[in-house]
Amino acid sequence: MTETQHKRLKRIMKDALRIQDRFAAEPVLARTGKGYLRSEGVTTLQRIKAGLRKSAAH
Amino acid sequence: MSRLVKPWLASFDWEIVTEINRGLCKQKHALHKPTSDGHLPAKTLWEKNQSKELDLTEALEICLKCHRLAPFCFYNGNTFAAIARDFITELSPKLPADKAHILRSIAGHIVAGTATEIERKQLDSLLAVLGK
Repeated sequence: MTETQHKRLKRIMKDALRIQDRFAAEPVLARTGKGYLRSEGVTTLQRIKAGLRKSAAH
Repeated sequence: MSRLVKPWLASFDWEIVTEINRGLCKQKHALHKPTSDGHLPAKTLWEKNQSKELDLTEALEICLKCHRLAPFCFYNGNTFAAIARDFITELSPKLPADKAHILRSIAGHIVAGTATEIERKQLDSLLAVLGK
């Protein structure tokens, strides 16, 4: 694996691990035809929007 | 050519796909192993499309199909959703932060197999803005 690929892998793994608890470990989609993903909630989006509003106000 | 049509999967060799799955399984002490029925079809589908010019929705569908084929024993959805969320990040600088977050989120939902019709329409709207 090249240095670029290593960097990419590290970046993806960081995000993949951050969202890991929202996924089922088992192959649910393959077995049932229906996927599973626990909701992230709206906290992150609300934080981003608050940041945008703050930036716009300045 | 629209910047929404490109070889989206080109940077993701099957080796990288496998390493992501290995890392996720390691984190949860789960078995990292290819499946007997899903691994070869998923790898073949991935490699067939890896260097192809795809529009973004096609690239997301490939990730969804590979998730459905379940090439690994565990964490297939997590693996392919993480890849989709990564390649779609390239479009983030063109969008306000909240829209970029929504785009990444919808991409994850599509690959997880949980996207609603409303989310798919929302994706179309965002892509229309980006395609202009």
